[in-house]
Amino acid sequence: MIVYAVLLVYFVLPAQIVASQGPAEAAKLLQSATDAESRGDFEQAIADFRKAVELTPSSATALLKLGGAYMRKRDYEAAIPPLKRALELSPDSLAVHQLLGYALLSQGYAVEAIPHLEIAHESGALGIAQLQADQPKEAVVNLKNALAKSPDDPDLIYYFGKAAAALSSESNERLLARFPQTARGHQVLGQNYYSAKRFSEAEREYQKAIALRPDLPGLHLELGEIYAVSSQWTQAEEQFRSEAKLQPGNAEVAYRLGDALLQGGKMKEAAEELRRSDSLRPDMPETLYALGRALAVSDPTAAEQALHRVIAVEKESPLAAQAYLLLASTHRRQGKSELAARDMEEYKRIHNVASKPEQ
Amino acid sequence: MMRICLLLLLLSLSAISQISTPSPEPQFKLSPARGVDFVLRNSPTSRKYLIETMPGGVALLDYNNDGLLDIFLVNAGHVADPLRSPVNFDRHDPSYWNRLYRQNKDGTFTDVTVQAGLQNAGDTNYGMGVAVGDYDNDGFADIYVTNFGRNILYHNNGDGTFTDVTRKAGVGAGGWSASAGFLDYDNDGHLDLFVTRYLDWTPEKSKTCGRIAEPMYCPPGEFGSATSILYHNRGDGTFEDVSAASGISAKPGHGLGVAFADYDGDGFTDIFVANDAVEQFLWHNNGNGTFTEVALNSGAALSSTGKKLSGMGVVFQDYDNDGLPDLLVTQLPHEPYIVFHNDGKGSFSAQELETGFGALSGNVSGWGVGLEDFDNDGWKDTFIVQGHVFDNVKTYDSSLSYREPPLFALNRKGHFEKGDAGSNLPVAGRGAAFGDLNNDGWVDVVTTSLGEHPKLYLNRGGKSHWLTITLRGKRSNGDGYGARVQVNGQVRFATASGSYLSSNDKRLHFGLGSADNCDVDITWPSGIHQKLRAIKADQFMTIEEPER
Repeated sequence: MIVYAVLLVYFVLPAQIVASQGPAEAAKLLQSATDAESRGDFEQAIADFRKAVELTPSSATALLKLGGAYMRKRDYEAAIPPLKRALELSPDSLAVHQLLGYALLSQGYAVEAIPHLEIAHESGALGIAQLQADQPKEAVVNLKNALAKSPDDPDLIYYFGKAAAALSSESNERLLARFPQTARGHQVLGQNYYSAKRFSEAEREYQKAIALRPDLPGLHLELGEIYAVSSQWTQAEEQFRSEAKLQPGNAEVAYRLGDALLQGGKMKEAAEELRRSDSLRPDMPETLYALGRALAVSDPTAAEQALHRVIAVEKESPLAAQAYLLLASTHRRQGKSELAARDMEEYKRIHNVASKPEQ
Repeated sequence: MMRICLLLLLLSLSAISQISTPSPEPQFKLSPARGVDFVLRNSPTSRKYLIETMPGGVALLDYNNDGLLDIFLVNAGHVADPLRSPVNFDRHDPSYWNRLYRQNKDGTFTDVTVQAGLQNAGDTNYGMGVAVGDYDNDGFADIYVTNFGRNILYHNNGDGTFTDVTRKAGVGAGGWSASAGFLDYDNDGHLDLFVTRYLDWTPEKSKTCGRIAEPMYCPPGEFGSATSILYHNRGDGTFEDVSAASGISAKPGHGLGVAFADYDGDGFTDIFVANDAVEQFLWHNNGNGTFTEVALNSGAALSSTGKKLSGMGVVFQDYDNDGLPDLLVTQLPHEPYIVFHNDGKGSFSAQELETGFGALSGNVSGWGVGLEDFDNDGWKDTFIVQGHVFDNVKTYDSSLSYREPPLFALNRKGHFEKGDAGSNLPVAGRGAAFGDLNNDGWVDVVTTSLGEHPKLYLNRGGKSHWLTITLRGKRSNGDGYGARVQVNGQVRFATASGSYLSSNDKRLHFGLGSADNCDVDITWPSGIHQKLRAIKADQFMTIEEPER
C-alpha cells in the first residue's frame, strides 16, 4: 500500500528531472514508453525506456523512468540498477532517492534503504526500514509521524505495533542484561516464558519476583493469570486477592478476582467482588456478564439486571447472545417460560448472525 | 468503551498440574484384578485413524447369577497402516478378542471367553462399547457389543454360554457405533435398545490433521455426522429399527455417550446423547413411540457460556437429592465438565461452577463417568476416568497430557470437592463401570485405558450404612430399568447405562450415612408404586414388582 502510494507521487516527478533533454529519438521513445505505462502495458514501457536509456545513457530521467516502470511491474530487483545509475547522475534528486529507497526496502536491503528514505522524507517507509534494521526506537518515532498523516493505513498500523513491541523487547533485554536478579528482571522473564506457553517456568520467575518485591503492582495479577489459564482457581484467587490489596481501585483486578471466585464455585464472594469491579468501572460487559452468571441461581432478579446491562452495551455481539442464553436459563428457572422463549429467539438470532461466515 | 483485556486468557491452558487437596484417607485402593490379563489393544498407527483413540468399554454384570459381578471387556483390533476397505482388524487373533472374566468366590477372576462363546468378534469389527440388559426377560443378562462395523447381540443361554443372535434380532446397525444402552421406552415390559453412532467415517474418508511432521487425530468436525438408532423390542426375540418412526434419526449428531432417565416425571424414559463438538441432544419421550429433541430450549444443549461441548461420557442421576435426575457430561480440556441441573418443569441449567467442576476440571479430558455414593454418606460422588484424545498432545500444547489420573470428587451437599482416588497413576483412560465387586456395600470402579490392562479401584469402605437393591420386574421389564427408586429421600433411576461405552452394575446402591434403616419407594415403569418401610440397612435386597 505504501509502495503504491509512492508510485502515484512518482508520476508527478520534480520538474528538473523531467525537463532534461536527450536526442529527439530518445524523447519520442520516452513519450511512447510513458503512454504504454499509462495504459498498463509495462512490458512495452520497459522496452521503450530501455531503448531510450541506450540512446541517452547519461539521462537521469530515462533511468528514473525505467526504474519506475520496473517498480510498477513489481520487479523491484530490476529497478535497482537503473535507479542507482540515476542517482549517480542526479545525486540530489528526491524522486530518485524515494524510488531507490523503496526498491531497496522491498528487496530486504533495509540498512541501505534508510539514507535514501531519510532524504526523501518518507517517514513511513523509513520507519519500516528502521524496524527491519533493528532500530526500533527510531522506527517508532517515524512510524508515529507517518500515522499522524495516514491514520487509517493498515500497513502503518501493523508496523507501528511491531516496532513498539520490538522496542519493548529491546528495553526488556536491556533490563535483563543489567538487572537480571531484580524483581523486574524476573517479571520480564516470566512474561517471556508465559508468551512461549512455558507456564511452570513463568510461574517460577513470578514467584522469585514476588519474593523480592511483594508490593510491586502487577506481579500478583500476572501470576494469577498464569494460574487462571491452567484452571488453578484457588491459586489464582490468592494472587488476585493479593493484587487487589495493592490496587484496591483497579477494576480489572477486581474483575479477575471475581472471575476466579466464580470459576472456583464461590458464587456469593464472586458476586461481591464483581459488583465492586462494576462500581469502579461501570458498564464493562465482561464484568456484568460474570456478575449475571454468579447471581443466576441465587438472585435471578439481580442477575437479570446485570445481563440486561450486558445486552444494552453489547447489542448484537456474541457476548450479548451469551447473555440472552443465560437470561433464558434464569427465566426458565423462575417459570417464566414465555420470557425464556423470547430470550432463546434473541439468542438464536444473534448467534446465527454472528456465526455466519463472512462473504 | 474500554474493555478488559482478555488477551492472556486466550492462551491455552498451562502445564501446571492441578494441585489437589486430598482427603485424609483415600477412598479407593488401586488393586490388581487377579486373573484379568486383558489388554485394550487399540493399535495406534502413524496415520492417526480416529477410531484408534476412541475404545473401549467395560461392563460389570452377573452373567451366571451367582451373586458376584463379572467383568466383560471390549477389545479394539489390529489397524493396518494404511487401512483399506474391506477392513480386516484381525479379530480372530486371541489378543484382540473381547473377554469375559467370571469372578470366583475368592475375588479372583477366570477368563471364560471361549467357554462362553464370546471369542472372535469378527474381523471386520473394531470394538467400541458394551450394553447389558435382559432383553428377553429370561432372568439372564444379555450383552450387546458396539463396533466400528457390525454390532453384536449375544443372548445369554443361562448355562454360562452366549449365542450371537444379531441377525435374528436385527440389531447389527453398521457404521461407527459408540455407546449403547437398554431401556424400555414404551413401558411394554421388553427392553429396547438405543445405539449412538459417532461419525460418518470410513478408512477412505479418513483424514490426518496437524503438522506434517507431527500428525494428529482430526476433530469430529472434519467428518460427517451420524444418526443414533432406536430398536424396538417386539418381545419375540427380534427388534424393529424405529429410528425414523420415532424421530430419532431426524437429527444426526456426533453421539458418544448415552444415558436414560425420566427427567420430567411423565412416566416415560427419556434419552440424553452426549455429542462431541455439536449441541447435546435431549430426546424427550412423547409417550406415543416418538421422541422430540428438546435440549436447546430445555437448557441442556450448551455450556452456560453458549459453547458446544465436546461431550463424551454422561451420567443421568440426581446429584443434589432433589428427586430430579441431573446430567453430568465429561468433555475435553479448556472447559469444565458440565452439570446440567434439572430445575424441574422440563428445564435444565448449566451449573458446572456452582457444583465445583470449574475448580475440578478445565485442564483435563474426561470419558467414563459415574455418580455413585462412594462414601455412603447419602450424596452421590463422582469418579471420572481421564486422558486426552491425542497421544502426541504434548507436542501441540505442553499444558495437556495424554495420560491423566482419574478424578474422584466427593459430593458435599451438592458441591463437589476433590477426593483421593488412592492412585495418581496416569493413563489414557476411556471406559469406566461402577459396581460393588466384592459385595461389601461399597461401590468399586473398573476402568479401561488404551494399550493397558484395566484398572480396578477397590473401595476401602468405611463406617456408614448402605442398602443395595436388585429390582425384579414382572409387568415391567425384568431388570426394572426405568424404575424410580427413592430411599430415605435419595433417588436413583434404574439403569445400567451411562458413563462412556460401558455398562454398570444394575443393582441400585444407596449410602445411608448414619441411618440403620430406611424407607424405600419405587415407581416401576409399569406405573405401579411400591412402598417398603423400615428396611434394615447394610443388606442386599431383591425387590419384586407387585401385581398392582
